[in-house]
Amino acid sequence: MDEKQQPILSLEDVTMSFNNKMVLRAINLKVYKGQIIGYIGPNGAGKSTTVKIMLGLIEGYHGKITVFDNDISDGKVDYKKKIGYVPETAELYDNLTASEYLSFVGELYGVPPEKVESKARRLMEKFGLEEVYHSRLSSFSKGMRQKVLLISSLLHNPDLLFLDEPLSGLDANSVMVVKEILAKLAAEGKTIFYSSHIMEVVEKISNRIILLSEGQIIADGSFDELKKQNTEGSLEQIFNQLTGFHQHQEIAADFVSVVQEV
Amino acid sequence: MENFQTLKLLDYFRKPIEKLGVDYTSMRKILQVKLTMDKRRVPTIFTQSNTKKEGNQFLKSLWLYALFGLANIPFILLGDNYLFQMSIVFGIAMFIIMTSMISDFSSVLLDVRDKTILQTKPVDQKTISASKLVHVIIYLFFLTGSIMTIPLLVSLFTKGILFFLVFLIEIIFVNLLIIVITALLYLFILRFFDGEKLMDLINYVQIMLSLATIVGYQLVIRSFEFINVDIHITLNWWHFFLPPLWYAAPFEWVLNGKTDVYIMIFTVLAFLVPMISIALYIKLMPAFERNLQKLTAQSTGKSSGRKESFIGKWICRNNEERTFFRFANQMMKQEREFKLKVYPSLGLALVLPFLLFYNEVRFRSLEEIASSQYYLAIYICLLIVPTIIMMLKYSGTYKGAWIFRTAPIQHPAPILKGTLKAFLVKLFLPVFILQSLVFGFIFSAAIIPNLVAVLLSSFVYTVLCFLSLKKALPFSESFKAGQQGEGFTIFVLLLLIGPLIGLHYVSSMVSFGVYFYIAVLLLANYFLWSDRTFQRVKIRFND
Repeated sequence: MDEKQQPILSLEDVTMSFNNKMVLRAINLKVYKGQIIGYIGPNGAGKSTTVKIMLGLIEGYHGKITVFDNDISDGKVDYKKKIGYVPETAELYDNLTASEYLSFVGELYGVPPEKVESKARRLMEKFGLEEVYHSRLSSFSKGMRQKVLLISSLLHNPDLLFLDEPLSGLDANSVMVVKEILAKLAAEGKTIFYSSHIMEVVEKISNRIILLSEGQIIADGSFDELKKQNTEGSLEQIFNQLTGFHQHQEIAADFVSVVQEV
Repeated sequence: MENFQTLKLLDYFRKPIEKLGVDYTSMRKILQVKLTMDKRRVPTIFTQSNTKKEGNQFLKSLWLYALFGLANIPFILLGDNYLFQMSIVFGIAMFIIMTSMISDFSSVLLDVRDKTILQTKPVDQKTISASKLVHVIIYLFFLTGSIMTIPLLVSLFTKGILFFLVFLIEIIFVNLLIIVITALLYLFILRFFDGEKLMDLINYVQIMLSLATIVGYQLVIRSFEFINVDIHITLNWWHFFLPPLWYAAPFEWVLNGKTDVYIMIFTVLAFLVPMISIALYIKLMPAFERNLQKLTAQSTGKSSGRKESFIGKWICRNNEERTFFRFANQMMKQEREFKLKVYPSLGLALVLPFLLFYNEVRFRSLEEIASSQYYLAIYICLLIVPTIIMMLKYSGTYKGAWIFRTAPIQHPAPILKGTLKAFLVKLFLPVFILQSLVFGFIFSAAIIPNLVAVLLSSFVYTVLCFLSLKKALPFSESFKAGQQGEGFTIFVLLLLIGPLIGLHYVSSMVSFGVYFYIAVLLLANYFLWSDRTFQRVKIRFND
């Protein structure tokens, strides 16, 4: 890790609560250029909340968040110009065609219309979606929508990417392509903030893993570093160990016994 | 995406809009996308028909609103009792604008996708809010334009320029009031309830609007009968809560020179309330956006349906049938798209017999009617049966129907029977019972045997409708795919009500004939509702 660099993203003592329930407890985090960060944690740990706060979707946090040297609480939105985002729920204006949607998003990011059009078309081609370029998104399968979302997050050549479960719904071949794309993007100096529940993927593509549990960071480092600190072998096991979850066998046994009752 | 005329018009306002700190280029793009999407949406007023064509459905529906607007003209021409006349005009206008605002533009105000899609882009909140507001204003402009243009022109030529001007300015203020009231209403509901409640409310307003469209024709025609009535309003304190009166008052003031305290207070309210509510709206907008998140949040419902399972135990013979009786009950109660298509016709069935009565009462006295066989008008309830039975095939969540095919169900007979029974209990009986009560009140208890006969023949009719319509598993097809080619069958089925009434009429000519008729119907029901009938039904799976 190159500590001399300016962090792209930094969170200092970020705390957030909804209806008196603490969702994030003092998150401290610095992210540097070129990192692929696997942001993992159990359901409800606060992963999506962190990302949403950084994108300005949720207000009312405490602490300081800096993105590209801008304090995001100043109310300016310009910092979003260099961010790409794939939301967890594949939300799109699905009455639009892929072509219309992508041009719209690209233009909102300030890419000139002529350029967006050709770029979107070529990217769709690469994903094998050239035939449906002028079809409505409502007719797309989950995997196709996910690809459109990925393209829409990259049209403006962002420096920072927030990806929430970016591989969901993709087939094995597409997963390989996307994994490779992410690695290449990081090699080009882009920073990727990536959250997922599929540990095998996180283990393979991230060069830094952050584990969040109950609103706190409980582990931070590369996979090798995490392995050294913990006795367990795979990221999945480390995950279970760190989040203090050992009952999976008992739960499974109980579950099956209820199933057998009829 | 096309470059809309509306947006070109909006370009003239570029400078003042930018002055407000709005990013005009982004706003224009957002509006362009929104208008494109609207073009592909069907407004509620058209849901009764099955048009799924390209082109702006909203703009195509405008002529219907223009037709509604015509209803205002007689009240403008009536005389110079403006407080009365104009409050009716504004009452009608406000009702139409408000209901269509809630039913068709809720999606504009409540689009939760906006947050994830727009706010993650470099577009500030102000621009997003502004584009929402302009979007609504564009539509209100069209809507009000189509409702009010003809009445406005009529007023210009018959009442003069002064009347016209007061009318025009007030229409603008009424619109402001409506936008803000709608938004504040949503805000209020979202503050205290969850998104599901709000969706239900919107659904009910949509149903009301559809019903009003159907009944409206009747009322508009009849409203001409009121024309020569001379009405004097004595004003009371509660009149302050009727906005149409506020807007009627300035006419009295400007044109009739009345300066009573009431008139002046109304006038002030007409202009002050919209101003105050806009200030309130701007202040509460951030809270509104925050609460919008509730729309996506899961709501915790409570389990219900004990009543249904109790009834189910009584009227269903086996467990399988009971299961589907309960399932169909829940679907009918909860599926919004289904309700939107079906409930308006239920309302119609409720109202129609009384409209018929109303016609009769003008020619005969109530006593005369009571001693006649006019109670047969209750057969009008049956009008809704074929359409609803056709609708039972469809659902907005038709994709869930795979469960029917993967589950080990021997024959769909119990599914079909359970669903039909649920239809009768949940939708038909409430309407029928309510009408029976009113009819019983008018015609005395002596008609009870006749009502029983009507009920029994409606059961027969239900099975006949089901057997002659295209058969499919309940709630298993998309509303969009279906509804073709059944119009003729439905027409024939509707004609079938005639012979049913005829048989009943003939039986009532003989003494105790009704009881004989009831016995025959019981027998018919026994055979029609038997498992044998249903097991012979073939279901066509389409995938």
